[in-house]
Amino acid sequence: MPAPTLHEPQSAPDAGMSRRSFLRTSAVLATGLAAVAASLKPLFEMEDFTSAEQFMQKYYKELTPEEMAKVLQRIEREVEKQYGVRPHVRDLKPMDGVEFVYALNLTRCIGCRKCVHACVAENNQSRNPEIQYIRVLKMPHGTFDLEKGDHNYDTAQVPEKGFFYMPVQCQQCHNPPCVKVCPVNATWQEKDGITVIDYDWCIGCRYCEAACPYWARRFNFTKPSIPADRLNPEMAYLGNRPRKQGVMEKCHFCVQRTRAGRYPACLEVCPTGARKFGNILDPNSEISQILRTKRVFMQLKEDVGTNPRFFYYFDV
Amino acid sequence: MQASNRTPMVLTILVVAFAGLTAAFLSDSWGYPAPRATIPPVDRAILDTATVRRSYADLVRAKEDLSDFDCYACHEKGHPPPLRYDDNQKLIVPTEHADVVMGHGSHGRNNNCFNCHNENNLTTLQPRDGRELKLEESTQLCGSCHGPTYRDWDSGAHGRINGYWNTKLGPAVKKDCVNCHNPHSPRFPGRKPAPGPHTLHGGDQTDTHASESPPTH
Repeated sequence: MPAPTLHEPQSAPDAGMSRRSFLRTSAVLATGLAAVAASLKPLFEMEDFTSAEQFMQKYYKELTPEEMAKVLQRIEREVEKQYGVRPHVRDLKPMDGVEFVYALNLTRCIGCRKCVHACVAENNQSRNPEIQYIRVLKMPHGTFDLEKGDHNYDTAQVPEKGFFYMPVQCQQCHNPPCVKVCPVNATWQEKDGITVIDYDWCIGCRYCEAACPYWARRFNFTKPSIPADRLNPEMAYLGNRPRKQGVMEKCHFCVQRTRAGRYPACLEVCPTGARKFGNILDPNSEISQILRTKRVFMQLKEDVGTNPRFFYYFDV
Repeated sequence: MQASNRTPMVLTILVVAFAGLTAAFLSDSWGYPAPRATIPPVDRAILDTATVRRSYADLVRAKEDLSDFDCYACHEKGHPPPLRYDDNQKLIVPTEHADVVMGHGSHGRNNNCFNCHNENNLTTLQPRDGRELKLEESTQLCGSCHGPTYRDWDSGAHGRINGYWNTKLGPAVKKDCVNCHNPHSPRFPGRKPAPGPHTLHGGDQTDTHASESPPTH
């Protein structure tokens, strides 16, 4: 049998491939590939792509102390790479016999918003877009209807006649609805009463934001932007370490300060002493004194059954 | 056949559409939505945890110039300075003490320097029970009239405490009355509020309640 020649018409595999169809097919293929590559462009622009180390990290409560030390080192490394500042990251555990309670004296608050910005500076919140844990409501005298509150007052001088000012932040509820809805247990209540978030475990579903009756939770829609010279290097794992895009955050009573025995940043900056904080299990703490002796105090939205650890009181 | 006649046309349209999309993607022709507004970094003075005033004790601790408190540089010992009143029985503040604004107590009832200052020794204070107190002990003087407030201050419910809530781990720094209140005019001064929240694109805030008047009931 003679070997088939190259030019035998019936066995040529590329009989249908003319010059024109080849050009056309390659043009379509090249354009298609370019289009796919171009549409993937935003992926390549993502700067803080989750490292394999972080991706493989275990659940916070399952980490052994040695693993935790490694995680803290990784965070320190990542923060230094990003901001050029070597932070001091700790994993502070709740103290025994301590339950934190906050009280805010509505008679004294003048609505100066210093607490808002001290909180942002202490807790490394994004400056643009702005994330703020505390919002101060300007409320007309004679009502507790939050719908009457104004966030955006910008008067030459506060306090204004006829108004009182009510700062609202995470109320650290005994019965936190945000914890119940979290599908991955990335947020939980610790034994000192602080509801914390593991930013490495959060999947960003924002259920907790919807569940919170106090509008206390914030979502990082974009990569947070913090000027390097404003970064607070004293950090805690469950506290103020820089967050990434797509995770929730909220007030955590400054765990990096309060679990080391210090007062929260919002309290220290308050010029009038309207903010009071302490251990409710210590009968001699000022917070115990206030809840025992002050004549009127209230929990915000008492009726929804969250039982906040944040009280508003008055000097009568 | 009609179908095979249409194929080149469909392919051409597809190629053109793809090429167009590619060009649009690469040149980013629609860009991002609106650019974010710039937000200036907040003034560091807002983050300052200092009290609005400094007490005499603060000045002593900071070893600052105390010549303002040297009463007998001008006054004469043993001769209590006379108080002068105008026709409405309002105290006339001498020009040497023009910085003193008499605003303590409503209706001008607290109208006498020697309700608090000791007329026989101007460098000390004297509450109505006759005790003689140093300037550093002014909180005791305030407490001699403002009993409930002093009780609250003493228990920590009134006033400022900075530092550590857990005194086993560090000191709690309790501020005095005069760190916040001017004894001659004690009402806490108003101030300009720090910047409020910014919108993402610098537009108007949507809060509509700002202009609403307080309810009358």
